[in-house]
This record gives sequence, C-alpha cells and structure tokens, in this order.
Amino acid sequence: MDVTAQITVSSLLQQILIGLSRTTILFIVASGLSLVLGVLRIPNVAHGSLYMIGAFLTYTVASVNGLGSAGFWIALMAAPIGVAAISFFIERGLLCHLYERDHLMLLLFTFAFTLVFSDAVKLIWGSDYRSFSPPDFLQGAFAFGTFSFPRYNLFLLALGPLVALGLWWLTNRTKIGKIARAAAVDREMVGAIGINVSWVFAFVFVIGCFLAGLGGALVAPTQNITQGMDHTIIIEAFLIVIIGGLGNIWGALLGALIFGLTDAVGILIIPQFAIVLPYAAVVIVLSIRPKGLLKSVW
Amino acid sequence: MAGVKPLMLEVINVNKTFDGFQAVSDVRLRVEKGQVVAVIGPNGAGKTTLFDLITGQLAPDSGRILFQGEDITGRKPHLIFRKGISRSYQIVNIFHRLTVFENVQIAVLSFQKKSFHWYGAARKMAGAETRAILKSVGLADKADQISGFLSHGDQKVLEIAIALGNEPQLLILDEPTAGMSPEETGHSLTLLKRLCADHGSTILFCEHDMGMVFSFAHEIMVMQQGKTIVQSTPAEVRSDPRVQAAYLGGADECSG
Amino acid sequence: MIVDRRFRLAALLCGWILIFLAAPFFLSRYYLYLIGLILTTGLLATSLNMVLGFGGMYQFHHSVFYGVGAYSFALVSMKSGLPPVAGYVAAPVMAALASLIIGLITIRLSKLYFGMLQLSLGSLVWAIVYRWYSFTGGDDGLHGINIPEAIASTRGVYYFTLVVTIVCLWLMFRMVNSPFGRIFQGIRDNPERTEAIGVNVKSHQLVGQVIAGTFAGVAGALFVTLEGSVFPDLLFWTLSLELIIMCLLGGWYVFFGPMLGAAIIVVLRTFVGIYTEYWTSVLGIVLMLLIYFLPQGILGYFQRRQLSEEP
Repeated sequence: MDVTAQITVSSLLQQILIGLSRTTILFIVASGLSLVLGVLRIPNVAHGSLYMIGAFLTYTVASVNGLGSAGFWIALMAAPIGVAAISFFIERGLLCHLYERDHLMLLLFTFAFTLVFSDAVKLIWGSDYRSFSPPDFLQGAFAFGTFSFPRYNLFLLALGPLVALGLWWLTNRTKIGKIARAAAVDREMVGAIGINVSWVFAFVFVIGCFLAGLGGALVAPTQNITQGMDHTIIIEAFLIVIIGGLGNIWGALLGALIFGLTDAVGILIIPQFAIVLPYAAVVIVLSIRPKGLLKSVW
Repeated sequence: MAGVKPLMLEVINVNKTFDGFQAVSDVRLRVEKGQVVAVIGPNGAGKTTLFDLITGQLAPDSGRILFQGEDITGRKPHLIFRKGISRSYQIVNIFHRLTVFENVQIAVLSFQKKSFHWYGAARKMAGAETRAILKSVGLADKADQISGFLSHGDQKVLEIAIALGNEPQLLILDEPTAGMSPEETGHSLTLLKRLCADHGSTILFCEHDMGMVFSFAHEIMVMQQGKTIVQSTPAEVRSDPRVQAAYLGGADECSG
Repeated sequence: MIVDRRFRLAALLCGWILIFLAAPFFLSRYYLYLIGLILTTGLLATSLNMVLGFGGMYQFHHSVFYGVGAYSFALVSMKSGLPPVAGYVAAPVMAALASLIIGLITIRLSKLYFGMLQLSLGSLVWAIVYRWYSFTGGDDGLHGINIPEAIASTRGVYYFTLVVTIVCLWLMFRMVNSPFGRIFQGIRDNPERTEAIGVNVKSHQLVGQVIAGTFAGVAGALFVTLEGSVFPDLLFWTLSLELIIMCLLGGWYVFFGPMLGAAIIVVLRTFVGIYTEYWTSVLGIVLMLLIYFLPQGILGYFQRRQLSEEP
C-alpha cells in the first residue's frame, strides 16, 4: 500500500505555505471561540454552525447576479455581520439568562443551537453542497519556476497576521478589551465597580461569533460548502483552543499553526491518514501540557 | 530510648508560601495523646493553612510533620486518613445529595477498605458502626434526611460525625462551632467533651469563640501572620504579653 | 416508606420485563427492532450515566467506547476467521482496554479539561477509523455482518438483546448501590472531602471509567447484532452529546433516567421523522426547554417531589 508521496523541497514549501493559509482560517475561527470561552466561560458548540452559516451567506451574497467580482467583497463584510446579528439575538434572548449555570449545561444549550441551525441551513439552502470561485483578482496562482502558489491562499496568508494584530489591539489597547479581560478573570469584581457586565458579555459574544462568520466567509471560495462543515470545524477549533490555552488568543494562533502545519505536512507524507496527524499532535501536546501550551485565562 | 512515647502530633518549623505570600513561617506545634489543643489567632494567621498542611491538602515547602513519630510530611490526604487522622471543615463540606446516614457510612466504608466493593448492597453494610456514630453525635433521628436540607447547626455536627468514621486517633476540627447559635455551640461542646472522656480522643481545633477555647482546651497555641507565638496552658497564654499585644487586646475578639 | 418504594420499583420492573418478554407475540418485526434499538441505546446511555450522573465526570465522548465495541464485534465476525460469538467477548474487552488507555491519559485532569481531552482522544480514534478504508471500511463502514446462527432471527435477536440488556442493567444497578457506588457518588458531590476520608479519588474514577466503557462496548456489540452494520458515525462526537441529552432528559441522578430518556428520544426520532425531515431542530428545541425548565430531568422531577413529601 503506497501511502507516501514524492517529496521535494519545492512541494514541501508549497504545502507549508498552503498549510499556513489554512492556519489563518483556523485561527480566526478558534480565536472567536477562545474569546467566548475565556470571557463568558461558555464552550460554544454552535460556533461551528455560525461558521457554516457565514459560508452559506457568503455564497448567496456573492452569487447575486450583477455583482460580479465585487460580490465577494460585499459578502465578506455582510456575512460576518449577518452572523453577528444572529448571535446578538441568541445571546440577549436566551443565553444571558443561563450564565450562572455550569459548563456542561451551557455546552449543551449551545449544542441545541447547533441542532436547530443545521436544520435551518437545510431548510434555506437545501441539502446540496455549494461552491463558487474567488473573485477574478484572486483566482489563479503565482508561479515561480516549479513553485506555484494559489493567489487566494496568498491573500489568506496576508490576512492572518492582520486579524491577529487587530484582535490584539482590541483586547489590549481598547477600554472595552481591557474590561473584557478583567471580566474573564473576575466577573463579580467588574460588576462591583459599576460596569454592566451583561453588556460586556454581549459584546464579546458578538465579536466572537463575528469571527466565526468571517472564517466561514473566507473559507467559502476554497472548498465545497456543505452540511457537515459545522461538525468538523468545531472539533478542530476546540482542539486548537485547548492546546493553545483556554481564552488565550496567542494560544489560538499557536494552536492553529500546529494544526494547520501538521495537516499540510500530513497531506504530503501520508495522504490517506493526513487527517490523523493534527489530532495526534493535539494528543501529544495535551499529554505533555494538559492545560495547554500557553497560560489559560482561568 | 525505650519507654518514651512519641507525641501524637508534632509540627516542626513548617513553611508554606503561595505566590510570594508567606502563609506559614517556621510554625511549631506539639500535641500529646489525649490532649485537647486549640489554635487561635486573628483572621489570616494561617490556621486553616496549617491544618491543610497537616492533613495533606497542601505540601509544605520545608519543615516536618510527625504523627506518632512517623513522618507524614506532604503525604496525600487519603493516606493520612488511613493513619488515623481525621478532619472537619470550617465551611460545611458534606455530601449534600446523600442522606445523613449515607454521609457517615461513606467514611466508615472507606475506613473498612470497602471502597472497591462493587457487588454487595451498601445499605446492608457498616450499619452498626454508622448508627453508633450518629447516636453519639445526636443525629440518629435524622438519619434518613437528605443532608443538604439540614439546618446549618446540624450540618456542622454532621461534619464532625463524618470525621469520626475512621475511629480517629487525632481529630482535627476547623472552627467546629462557626455560625452556630449559643445553644448549638453548647451542644457541640458537650459532644466534644464526651468524645474526649469516653474515647480518649486527641483533639486539635481552631476557633474564634474564646469562651469555648478557654473552657475546653488543655493547651492553646497562638498564631499570628503565619508564625507560632506561643503554645502553653490557657492561664499562661492569657497572661502572656506577646499574645495580649497581638491578639487578645485587639478588635477580633468575638465573645468572652 | 423506603421499603415500600423498593417494592414498588421491583413490581414495576417485573411488569415491564413481562411485557417485553411477551412482545414478539403481538408486535411486528419493525416494532421489535425498535424496542431492540431502545434497549441498546438505553443500555449505552445508562453506561454513560455511571460516570456522568453518578460520578459527576464530564464524559464528553462516551460514544468512542460504543464504537470500539461495535467495530470490534464487526471486525472479529468478518475478518478474524473466528466464529461471530467471539465478537461478544472482543467487544467489551476492547472497549475496556480503550477506556483504560484513554482513562489513564485523561484522569489526571478534571471537569472541562477532562472532557476536552477525552473529546480530542476520541476524535483521534474516529479519524483513524474514518480513513482506514481497507480495515474498517472507512466512510462506508462495514455491512452484512454475521451474527451467531442461534440468534439469527428476528425473535432471536430480540430476546438476546433483551436478556443482555437486563443482565447489564442489573449489574450496573448493583454497582451503583454498592459501597463503590456510594463512594463514587461521594466523589461527585465532594471530591475533596472524599479524598479526606481515605479514598484515592483518581483510581476510583479510573475504575468507573473502565466499567462505563465496558458496558458501552457491550451496547456496541448489541447494536451490530441488531443492525448488521457498523459505521464511523458511532464514534462521532455528536452521538456522545445526544447520549448526554438522553441522560439529562430522563434525569441523571436517577438510575433509570437515561433509559427513559433514550426511549423517548428514539421513539420521537422515529415518529417525528415520519412527518418531517427536521427532527434535529425538534431535538434542539426539546433540549433548550429541558435546560430552561427541567434540568433535573423527568424522573428527577418526580424523585424530588417524592423526597419532599416524605416525613
């Protein structure tokens, strides 16, 4: 059984870069999950569903006739905002009444949303998968000799650090970010000094879900948009958050890097079991550092 | 030297630091068999930390803890239980979903090394011993009530009852009458005195209720800011100027 | 009175057992299959509840052991050359082994971390099974699995499932009411105090894990007996969460809660599925209502009422 492939330096490099661009999406999704987990202490299983909805919304907006290439860019803004709006209603309407419950109940409650959303998507978009191409500008690949790199992946690669910086700025340099970080550690204290913790939570939750939608929007042109997307991404996102350290954004980046790179390398050396490599990496990391590589928020 | 009995408990120069904060520092304690020793001190003096160190919830940074001559420093809590040390907690720490009977029974079953018995019906086991303990603390008539629904005073008594499950040689009580009414305190005091008289139990406890401390303890050890100031008889402690300065003259006094 | 309660429970159970025994005489093949599925799922949910409701452990990926048991049976039956009966030994043994290995790795942690590590280990197992096409059938799974001649009929499968389920439930019931079970519940309510009264909490939790995993493996073998097929979905995390929902629905502090929850979910899924393809959202809404209004579950609600009425 031939499970290995020919590896050249060039193909390795190419694969690593593709892995890094996948890291961008994983990081965006995982950081949103990590934010919510760190500040609100909710393991939001529905995060994956919101990602999927983001992808489907992007497809719909981008496919509107007459928009052409601009459709994608509009969708890239509209889809995450749409997802954020949905999350706002969930949080204010239902979730905020349950903050005193334990993790397991909160997890189950968000799982209920996963169930409802998956049927909602089936109802609105049907069971078939969707796909569409990136805008002309980002189609095709750059070629350097034998080395060929898809433009869209380059775009993702460039976007990654930008989002990371943006998040860092939001959580460390803005007032609301600092309040959120304080609330993550001690919500009672923050409430005691007169801040409306409830709205802080709403804000963080919406931002987190916005990121899920953004991840979905960005991934939409690169793969088939299917029903099972929510289930696979949420596991990956959770594992990344766990190995990175709960609530730690840089941890999410580190975890996403590990995940993306092991996946990419796996495709190259054992294509059939490529999917196993990231999970194995997670198991190894957690066996050595059970609470994650970087410090968790609680 | 043959014939010299080791002390029941000896704490020798134990230190413990948390994140730079020195919780206990060179603390010393001696408890002889059959004695009742009280540890007193202002809030934050390190009394509960000391108890945690003795019962294995925490491991000391340095120093030694000897139980009947045997070094138990840093041992795990479940092993310390097996040696014959038992503890009750300041904040009620019972099995709130189980009945009063089951609460005590669990301790007895563990003591009888039956914790892995998966086949026999638990309700048929350790009944006599459990009922005896419940009777001795006065909770026999409440045996079938869910412990979570008991009054606070009864729960504190149950606290002590659970600690009696292993026929302890050394009973450590962390503020056994905290939050109790004067009447309940009186009952608990009678109960503890009876335990001493009937079983010759050695008791180490800490309290803020000075009346109880001075009437019940053979010796008192005074702590402040993690250090042992003095350990002596109640009369000597009362008149010790260091103690007066540190504690009895202060504002933490609850009752006399 | 307590004695009265036990007697009533025993009578109720006997009644149900008699109904189940008589069922093949007046129910069609489809309904016998459905009951078999309920029993199997109920057994699985009860095995989960050993550590979830009675142990307080965040068992997020219990279905791994179910899947391991199911695949063990299937692979022994189809690929080992041994008679299918050997599968009934392989399933619990392999599931026990899996729960021991996974348990050893995860038991050091508690609560959310424990659950998440178990989730990741379970996902690793899923990924391997999902991709190992040549051995496990990969995405397609395995079909047409042989079961022993002696029970290879509708009634045979039915009675076999019934007997195995009853035996397993009885064993688990005894365990919950044994000293080990009491101590285990003590660990649930107060791990620190349980440690202080002489119990090595981690080793007891590990034993609990292996017990729960073993019975899940038995349920896996029963599933294959019933369905004749096995597929990677059995190892997927969504099934694990569904099992937790069943325990929650029935009441996870009550022994028969998970069984009731499983019965309700399986029946609802089957019959709602006739009218609509959107069963999933029905389950989701039921779950939300449960968390909001009845977190102690159905039997838990009745138990609480009963306890407050007693003197």
